[in-house]
Amino acid sequence: MALQKLARVEEIPPGRTKFFRLGSKTVVLANRAGQMYALQGICPHRNNPLEGAILWDHLLDCPWHHFQYDVRTGENHFPRNVYPADLPRLQEQVRPLKTYRVEVKEGDVWVDLE
Amino acid sequence: MGKVARQVVEQAGIEVNVLLDKLVRAAGAEFTTFYYYTILRVNAIGFDGEGLKEIIEDARIEDRNHFEALTPRIYELGGALPRDIRGFADVAGCPDAYLPSNPRDMKAMLNVLVEAERCAVRTYTEICNMTFGKDHRTYDLALAILHEEVEHEAWFSEYLTEGPSGHFRRGTPGTSPYVRRFMSADIG
Repeated sequence: MALQKLARVEEIPPGRTKFFRLGSKTVVLANRAGQMYALQGICPHRNNPLEGAILWDHLLDCPWHHFQYDVRTGENHFPRNVYPADLPRLQEQVRPLKTYRVEVKEGDVWVDLE
Repeated sequence: MGKVARQVVEQAGIEVNVLLDKLVRAAGAEFTTFYYYTILRVNAIGFDGEGLKEIIEDARIEDRNHFEALTPRIYELGGALPRDIRGFADVAGCPDAYLPSNPRDMKAMLNVLVEAERCAVRTYTEICNMTFGKDHRTYDLALAILHEEVEHEAWFSEYLTEGPSGHFRRGTPGTSPYVRRFMSADIG
């Protein structure tokens, strides 16, 4: 467990996201109604960065193709909810985002990137 | 390309290449949606499907109209459509609207349709937000498309009984009451 300080809380107001590059890793922080979430910063659909992702309630919307992920679990919501099961190759596109543990201490956002 | 048309957008503070990327992705999504909605429409049959067929057709034709209306603006700003249509499909800004595993499952088909329209609503809202007060022509076009995408979402959402109906029929299929004025090649 190695917590790393990424930002001040006020840098990511409720309803907003912020993208970080940390060496070879990327992280996106999302503030949903005051609760902070950290997820991998690359959309597994086409490996595009989630920089500029928009938060719609609990869903993180990828700016490239509008794939949506639940910030609480990292699971893909859309288009997994409409992709047909008889085309299994599509399931490769809707893999979840990795999630990271977040702690907020004295206004600082710490993320466990292990 | 319009030299000054691009310059005024740049000078208003918009990164034109970023905007062009969004417009090409949006055009790609309209083009692929037109294709996929064709498959959905022909499969909308039976007691449940026949009633749905007409509004799929409206949305299908209007999405094609959106592609037609977006394309001149892309070139005016110095952009271009990809030379390879496969590349165009790959950059489409919304996921493909596949026919459900069971093509007779009209509720599954409606979910595909409503989610596709919601993706379009988000797409044009972003473009409107980016261009408002800066790129008047793109904003005006994106807003016109947004009006129609919002109506499409409402039609399919109402079919899923998610809320009371505000739906009224188009006079003829795919009239595009908001976008039509941008299709200058069609209306002369």
